[in-house]
Amino acid sequence: MSEAKRVSSIAEKVEPYDKVWGVGASGFVTDPSPFERINLILDDTERTTNGEVIADRALVLTEAYKKYRAEPHIIKVAKAMAEVLHRCPVYIYDHELVVGTLQVTKKNAPVFPEFGLNWLIGEMEDGLLGYSENRTHDYFTHTQETYEALKGIQADWMGESVDERLTPILTEDEIKGSHMGKGLFLCNAYIFCGAGHLGVNYDRLLHMGFGGIHDEIEAKMAELDESKPEDAKKMINLKADLIANEACTDFILRHANLALEMADKESDQTRRQELLQIAENCSAVARGVPQTFWQAIQAVHFANTLVLIESNGHSISYGRFDQYMYPFYRRDIDAGVITREQCQELIENFNIKIWDMNKVRDHVSINIFANGGIGGPCLTVGGIKQDGTDGTNDLTFMMLDAVAHTRIPCPWTAVRLHAGTPRKLLVKVANLIRLGLGEPKIFNDDVTIPSMVANGRTLEDARDYQVVGCVEPDATGKEYGWHDAAYFNINKVLELAINGGRCMECSAECPRYAKCVGVGKQLGPNTGSLETFTDFQQVLDSYDKQMAYWCGKMIAMLNKVDLIHQEVKPLPLLSGLMEGPVEKGVDITQGGAKYNFSGPQGVGVGSVGDGLATIRQLVFEEKKVTGKELLEAVRANWVGHEKLYAYINSDRVHHYGNDDDYADQYAKFGLETYCKYINGAPTAHGGHFEAGAYSVAVNVALGMSQHASIEGRKAWEPISDCMGAVHTLCCPHDVKGPSAICNSVTKLDHSLCGNGTLLNWKFSPSALEGDAGRDSLIALMETYIQRKGMHSQFTVASRDSLLEAQKNPKDYRDLLVRVAGYSAYFVELSRELQDDIIGRTELSF
Amino acid sequence: MTGIVANIQRYTIHDGPGVRTEIFLKGCPLRCKWCSNPETISPRPELGVYPTKCIGENACGSCKVACPEDGKPLRFRDGKLETVDRTACTDCLACTADCFLGALKPWGMEMTVEQVMAEVLADRTLYQKSGGGMTLSGGEVTVQADFARALLETAKREGIHTCVESALFCRWETLERLLPLCDFFITDVKLMDAAAHRQWCGVDNGLILENLTKLAGTGLPLVVRIPVVPGVNDGEENLRATAAFLKENIVSGGGLQQVQLLPYRRLGEEKYASLGREYPLEEPPQSPTDERLRELTAFFKAEGLPVAVGAGTKTEE
Repeated sequence: MSEAKRVSSIAEKVEPYDKVWGVGASGFVTDPSPFERINLILDDTERTTNGEVIADRALVLTEAYKKYRAEPHIIKVAKAMAEVLHRCPVYIYDHELVVGTLQVTKKNAPVFPEFGLNWLIGEMEDGLLGYSENRTHDYFTHTQETYEALKGIQADWMGESVDERLTPILTEDEIKGSHMGKGLFLCNAYIFCGAGHLGVNYDRLLHMGFGGIHDEIEAKMAELDESKPEDAKKMINLKADLIANEACTDFILRHANLALEMADKESDQTRRQELLQIAENCSAVARGVPQTFWQAIQAVHFANTLVLIESNGHSISYGRFDQYMYPFYRRDIDAGVITREQCQELIENFNIKIWDMNKVRDHVSINIFANGGIGGPCLTVGGIKQDGTDGTNDLTFMMLDAVAHTRIPCPWTAVRLHAGTPRKLLVKVANLIRLGLGEPKIFNDDVTIPSMVANGRTLEDARDYQVVGCVEPDATGKEYGWHDAAYFNINKVLELAINGGRCMECSAECPRYAKCVGVGKQLGPNTGSLETFTDFQQVLDSYDKQMAYWCGKMIAMLNKVDLIHQEVKPLPLLSGLMEGPVEKGVDITQGGAKYNFSGPQGVGVGSVGDGLATIRQLVFEEKKVTGKELLEAVRANWVGHEKLYAYINSDRVHHYGNDDDYADQYAKFGLETYCKYINGAPTAHGGHFEAGAYSVAVNVALGMSQHASIEGRKAWEPISDCMGAVHTLCCPHDVKGPSAICNSVTKLDHSLCGNGTLLNWKFSPSALEGDAGRDSLIALMETYIQRKGMHSQFTVASRDSLLEAQKNPKDYRDLLVRVAGYSAYFVELSRELQDDIIGRTELSF
Repeated sequence: MTGIVANIQRYTIHDGPGVRTEIFLKGCPLRCKWCSNPETISPRPELGVYPTKCIGENACGSCKVACPEDGKPLRFRDGKLETVDRTACTDCLACTADCFLGALKPWGMEMTVEQVMAEVLADRTLYQKSGGGMTLSGGEVTVQADFARALLETAKREGIHTCVESALFCRWETLERLLPLCDFFITDVKLMDAAAHRQWCGVDNGLILENLTKLAGTGLPLVVRIPVVPGVNDGEENLRATAAFLKENIVSGGGLQQVQLLPYRRLGEEKYASLGREYPLEEPPQSPTDERLRELTAFFKAEGLPVAVGAGTKTEE
């Protein structure tokens, strides 16, 4: 490792496609970029997600809400947004070529009182916001002044936040299964913040500009007949859209003015010229359409920044960058107004701008979603175009080079692959994966596009999909997908299905006991018990019934969250930037987008597969134990049942992930039963539910609220991650190497999971060394694609180096690892998550 | 037909082109002192012992129950398996049947051609994508020549690329039966001096070199490996003799793809311990340094041979 630390940058400005940056050497290079400017900006870039909470936005917003309280809610919201954009400060940093911030300085976080203020003030008072043993990463400072200012507006927001409004309308049955009860499903993602999880419509942005959108809104308003009630309502929505649109122009022009002021004072002539160009760029895109590559990239950054100032939802994503930027690139290169190297530098600057942004979360959430920063800024390259031909171009390669040159966890980069992806791109992707940053993730067009079409998108829209956030395919700029709606523990469903609807650890000590078994009820319906089942089919039937019940509860709860969002926080600014809301005159939160979905994820595929296979093999075939004995062992957390525990964890029992149909069929059954009860259910904002199959790091959190389980898992251990195999404290259950995993995982029908699937691979660096290592990685990716796997991503780090990093975090500050869906600084992660990543089976050849 | 298989490893990338499934067959007539796969030497299944994996004789104890010698060879300390008395153990492997986490594990098992090929065929797509296939290795493949031939026949019938790795210590007639079914061959040259070869590898090298010459004459794509064991075979005299032999007898056949230098590493000690055997090198040498490997590479390159360090099958691009 110390060897690797001494590696100095040998990057070239425009890299050859087969450039090898090193294998497993992420984070050990100073000055990774070939551009001095980028390295200077990186020097000024913290490799953490810590910062300071800044009250400005909250204060301006509160004042404006009061000032406009007589207006219709959505107009009030739009006007308040306009005041924020006009009054909160704007910044331009040294060296940068692309400008725009969240109206706070780097790494600092604005406050969004519309999603709740009580938790933030509470954490300030209880010392839970700053560094403490409860918050060892993602910690925030605040001044006394900030605290007092927020305290001063707390009463104004009483009863106004999503979470305060939600609780009264939830039933006891919904609460008991959720994060507020036993944690079978976690719906908290959209309760304390915006829904996010979308990308603006880059065609509207780049070909209409804010001015064009403005004209469209006005034209639409002129068509309305306000004597019709529905048109009167649309008029209100469109007025709000117009106010927000004009506020965007105002915000961008403030940057033009600031750049001019700074240019005026600038003594360095080169920088002065840059500032003048920045001012010109801002003026150009404030209303008009960008004329150059530089202006286009500036417009893209502004649009995303604006969306994040309006609402703090996760995963505001950057669409198919190489596709929408290519016409600007081609035109400028052909006209000789810019060089490829200058474009490369702009892209790298742009990437760092994304990492500069930050968000403050509560101390519980950050343990689930550690080191996430703004969260989910996914950017997609590669894949087929709308006409079905391959879309790989120079920018595809340049974006991947930019990731290697900046080595920060932003953007979350996705590469779309398909049967016709050129080998040069596969080599580039393999080389970037081998670097060990955890980037990029790979997506398979050949399964994703048909799945999207099957869920109601047109073929052209499906072909133009972007990846949103961690995992989710999305019709860019046309879709309000609620992609990360919830996480659902299917392994807990299996527990209830074999234990008469009760938790394994059921006792009077449970906080819910008084409302549950204590009053003669149960957590779930009694669908039977392993003590009395007489054949295996009864186990499967019970799982099915239990699943139907709990999916119903989660869907009900999510729809209530959805309704509250519609009521509390319409999004007029975003509505203008999407396809649908202006045309329909309906706000995006209320179904304005062309496509509407809600995507909750099933977690524990491997755990359920192994659990069911174990029951069938041990109880109903080998008859090694009775169902009763097996239940007793699990209830006892395996204490006193060590031999059985060893047996269940051994390769004598059929396990998912080994290309063994016996176990694989139950992983398939476990997931597809979940999909059956999720897919197609209507959502509150129009459209329907689409299941996903990934956990990000939530398998750790879900495991923390589940007692021991049948597949050889001890109490509170993580359940299996994403589509991966089980790895318990005892041992990993996948023992046949990457090709067997690939085969097992692709036996499941990924197209049922329209909200995305994910398989994590973890390789030791030595396994990927040399041409043989690279080419076999490429063959593995190609095989996964041919076998219709949807998505996978790669951790390249040795177990030893991760253990070493746990011991000596200071020496490993820059070590990036793949969590799932995103990369993060390893030493910033919680201990539990670090251990889970270390425990993933390390593959070698 | 059945054979004794030490291990099947899917997704190997170093023994033949592309991504491969490698079948390690048991049984080897050589006794190379640097051998890192001692579990493949004996042709019969053997008992491997990994005491740290034992969960305890009280919690489990199934080995004692299963042992036909009434558990006499099994030695416990503090309730956990400590070792197995090899003089009392017959390698019947009964104790392994219920030892789930592998404190007692069988080295090698009898498998049918169909069982082996089912594993091989599972990765057909990967072979197609990577130009890979099946590799037979050992042990020494020719010890189980009939089984090997049956595997190769099935693979060819299925259109799977085949590779055999062999030390060539066998009758030419035995090899001749396999060669028509091989697409690629890997072998090695350890020592040129017959006496030294006997001393370090336990057998004479005359037959090996004769077979290698004939093999090269067939023009079959061939990789020749040289294990670089400092102090044993990296002296100038042996290097010169090796280079001369390769130039005179091997290059002309046209099949030689690469000469691969495999630096000695002290591997396999855990396996020796699991078999209750001593590591055969009393004073194991240090692994050759990168600098030394560069020197050796330069030497073979100067001799006009397509040399590379390591087992990757591609020459420099």
